Amino acid sequence: MKRNERRRRHEQKVQEVQVEHSEPRQTHSSESRSIYYRDYKKLLIIPMLMLIIALVLIGVKLATTGEFINKGISLKGGTSITALGDNLDSKLIETQLKSEYSSIEINVRTLENSGQNVGIFIESDILPEDNLTSNAFIESVQKITGIPRDNLSIETIGQTLGDAFFKQTLVAILIAFIFMGGVVYLYFRTIVPSAAVILAAFSNIVVTIAVLNIFEIKVGTAGIAALLMLIGYSVDTDIVLSTRVLKRKEGTVYQRVLGAMKTGFTMNITTLGAVIIALFIAESAVLQEIMLIILIGLLVDMVNTWIQNAGIIRWYMEKKGDM
Amino acid sequence: MGKFKEIFTNKRIIILIIFLVLSIILIGPSLSEGVAIRSVEKNSSASQALPHAMASPDPNLKPMNREVIQSINGIPVKTVEEYYTQINTLTENQTITIKTNKQNYFLTTKTGNLTEAQDIGINVYPRPTNNIKKGLDLEGGTRVLLQPQEEASQEDLELTVANIKQRLNVFGLSDITVRITNDLFGTNYISVEIPGVNEQEVKQLLAQQGKFEAKIGNETVFKGGNKDILYVCRTAECSGITPGSCGITNVGEYSCGFRFSISLSQEAAQKQASVTKDLAVVPSGFGQSYLSENLTLHLDDEQVDELRIGADLKGNPVTDISISGSGVGVNQKEATSASLQSMKQLQTILVTGSLPVKLEIVKTDTISPALGEGFIQNAILVGLLSILIVIIIVSVRYQEWKISIPMSITMLSEVIIILGFASLIGWRMDMVAIAAIIIAIGSGVDDQIVIADETLGKTKKDVENYSWKQKLARAFFIVMASYLTLVVAMIPLWFAGAGLLKGFALTTIAGVTIGVFVTRPAYATILEILVENKN
Repeated sequence: MKRNERRRRHEQKVQEVQVEHSEPRQTHSSESRSIYYRDYKKLLIIPMLMLIIALVLIGVKLATTGEFINKGISLKGGTSITALGDNLDSKLIETQLKSEYSSIEINVRTLENSGQNVGIFIESDILPEDNLTSNAFIESVQKITGIPRDNLSIETIGQTLGDAFFKQTLVAILIAFIFMGGVVYLYFRTIVPSAAVILAAFSNIVVTIAVLNIFEIKVGTAGIAALLMLIGYSVDTDIVLSTRVLKRKEGTVYQRVLGAMKTGFTMNITTLGAVIIALFIAESAVLQEIMLIILIGLLVDMVNTWIQNAGIIRWYMEKKGDM
Repeated sequence: MGKFKEIFTNKRIIILIIFLVLSIILIGPSLSEGVAIRSVEKNSSASQALPHAMASPDPNLKPMNREVIQSINGIPVKTVEEYYTQINTLTENQTITIKTNKQNYFLTTKTGNLTEAQDIGINVYPRPTNNIKKGLDLEGGTRVLLQPQEEASQEDLELTVANIKQRLNVFGLSDITVRITNDLFGTNYISVEIPGVNEQEVKQLLAQQGKFEAKIGNETVFKGGNKDILYVCRTAECSGITPGSCGITNVGEYSCGFRFSISLSQEAAQKQASVTKDLAVVPSGFGQSYLSENLTLHLDDEQVDELRIGADLKGNPVTDISISGSGVGVNQKEATSASLQSMKQLQTILVTGSLPVKLEIVKTDTISPALGEGFIQNAILVGLLSILIVIIIVSVRYQEWKISIPMSITMLSEVIIILGFASLIGWRMDMVAIAAIIIAIGSGVDDQIVIADETLGKTKKDVENYSWKQKLARAFFIVMASYLTLVVAMIPLWFAGAGLLKGFALTTIAGVTIGVFVTRPAYATILEILVENKN
C-alpha cells in the first residue's frame, strides 16, 4: 500500500516536472505578434547577408594577400618561443627584438592566467632552414628575457612542412565536410532539410574564418582541428531541429521549432559556458586558440541554426502543406 | 531504497561501473614519493653496479611500473632535488648503496675529478603518480620530425627507425619514441620524441645521415658501422680529451682535441695495408717519418679530420686505430665540453653506421619541463571549472536534482573512462588531447540534454502517447546523428599533419564513442528509474 502511495505521489511530482518542462504553448495572438513567427522568411536575410559579407571579406583578403586566412607558424613555417616569468613586458620585448631583426615579422603576446601575466609567447617568421638567424634569434631572446635556453620552450617548423600541413588541412576540412553531408543526407533522406544543415555548417566555417580575419587572429594546426570540430559540433543543434520538425508529429511546425530551440539553447549555453571559462583561464596558446575558434563558431551557429536553418525548414514544411 | 537497488542491479549501470573500476585500476593513482629512473648512462658507475647493472627502463613500461629510487646510503630520497643534493656529497671511489623498489644496488663512484665522480650516470624524474603518460608539451622534452629527402621504401624507413633508436641508446637516451608517421598525401615522416631532454646536440645526431668514411687519397679504407669497425672504445682508458691539446686558435677561440681508439675488422685492415704499401715515406722535422698521403675522415661527404700516418704503418694491416677530432668554445671549459660532445656523436655514428636514407629536420619542439608542469595544473583547473559551470547551468535550467546530478556523474565518469582508455593504450596526453576531452564531454552534455528533453520535456499528452522505449529511441536517433557527424569530421584529421593531430582525433573519437555506448545509455537508465513512471 505504502509503496503504491509513494509511487502515486511520485507520479504527481513527475507530472509537475514535465509540465514545467513542456514546450511554451503560446497563444495564437502572441505567436502572430512575434517577428520570429511571422517574418521568418524576411529574417533569412540576416544569415544570408552574413555569409555574403564573409565571402566578400575572404575574397578581398585572398586577392590582396594571396591567403584567405592568417596562417600561424605551424601552417607556414617559423619559430615560436614561450618564456615563463611574471615580469616580462611583451611590448618592450617586441620593440627590442624588432630593432635587432627589422626585416622579420615578430609578434610577442602576453600569456595570462585569470588576468595575471605569467609569461610571453613570441612568434616569428624565422625559418629553421636559416640556421644562423634562427640560433641568433633564440640567443637574443635569451639575452633580452634573461631566461636560460633550457627554460625556454622553442618550436620550429620548416616552410615545406608548414605548406604541406596547410594543404592537408584544407583537404581534411573538405573530406570532413563531405562525410558530414553524407551522414546528414543518409539520416534525413530529403534534399532540402539536408542541404539546409550542410549550408549551416558551411556558413559557420566561412563566417568564423571571416571573423578570425577581422580580428587578425592567426590560425595554426590546432585552429584547423577546432574548425573541423566545429563541423561536427555545430550540426548537433541542426540535427535536433530537423529531427523535431521532420520526424515528430505533435504540435504545429512552429511549436516544434520552439521546442527544439529550448533544447538547442540549453546545449549552446552549456557549451558556451565551458568554452568561455576555458578561454579565460587557459594558459596554453593551443588551448586558447581552440576555445576561441569554437566560441566564435558557436555564436555564428546560433544565428545559422535558429534563423537560417529554422527558416528554411519552416518554408519547406509550409510548401509541403504541413503547418 | 528500492530505487537505489534498482539502479545498481541494472545491466547498463553495472557495465558503467565495471568500466569505471577498470579505468581507475588502469590509471592506478598513487600518492607515494620517490624519484623514478629515466635512463642509465653507458659506462657509468650505475651501469657497473652490483649485483647487476642498473638499466634504463623499457620505454613501453607503464609509468607506475618504472623503477623508483627510495634511498641512497639509507637516507630516503623523496624529490629530484633531494636526489641531487645527495649525489653532490659523493666523493671519488666511494661505495654507495641505492635502494629501489626492486632491489638494492652497490655502486662505486668513479675516480677523477669530483664532478665526474659525482655523476653516477642516473637520470631521474619525479615518480609518476598515475599511469597516464604525459605528452611532451606537458612533461617537457624534445620532439623532432624528420622527413626523408629521397624516396624511401618501408623497409628503409624501418631500418632508419631502428638505427635512430640505436643511436639514441648509444648516446645514453632510452626513454624515447621513434616511429614512422605519414600524412594525407602519403608523405612519410619519422617522429622522434625524447621526454625530459632539452638537448640541442640530439637534433644533430638525428639529422646526420652519419655516412662515415676514412680515406687515404681517394681510396676509402673503412666505413662506419659494425662491418668494418668491430669495436669503438668509449671508456676513459682509451677515449677522451687529448692531454695538452687545448689551446687558443688564431681567431681567439679555445680549441680542445679528443681521441679514441677503434678496432677494425681484418678485411678493413687488409684494405688499409694494400693502400698504404704504395705510398712514399716523407721524413718530418722531428725525426719522425710519415707517409705521403694522410688519412682523412669524412662525415656525410664533409672532411672532419685529417691524420698523418706513421711510416711504420706502411703496408701493415693494423687493426687498432686512433680517431681524433676537436671542439671549440669561448673558453677552455666550453671547448672541452664541445670536444667531448663531438666525440660522443662521432662514436655513436661509428657504432651505429649510417642511416639508409638522408633525413631533413622539418620540425622541432623543445618544451621546458617548467612550462609543462604549469600547463598540467592549468589544464586540470580548466577541466574542473568547465565541468562546474556546466553543472551550474543544467541545475538552473532543470531545477531538478534527479536530472542534473546524474548528468554531473555521467560527465565525471566520461573523464575517468577516457583517461583509463589513454592509460590502457599508452597514449600520451598532450594539450590538444585535453582540449579534445573538454570537447568530448561538452558533446556528452549536449546528448544528455537531448535525452532529458526527449524523454521528460514533453507535455503530459506526449508522455502518454509514447512508451519510455519509444522516447528513448527518439532521443538516441539524435544522439547517434550527432555522434556520427562528429566522428566523420574527425577521421580526416587522423591522417593529416604527420600524425601530430592524431591525439586530438583519437581522444575525441574515443571520448564520444565511450559516451554513446556506455555512459549515455547508463544516464538514460538512471533517469528512467529516478523520474519515469513505469506503470
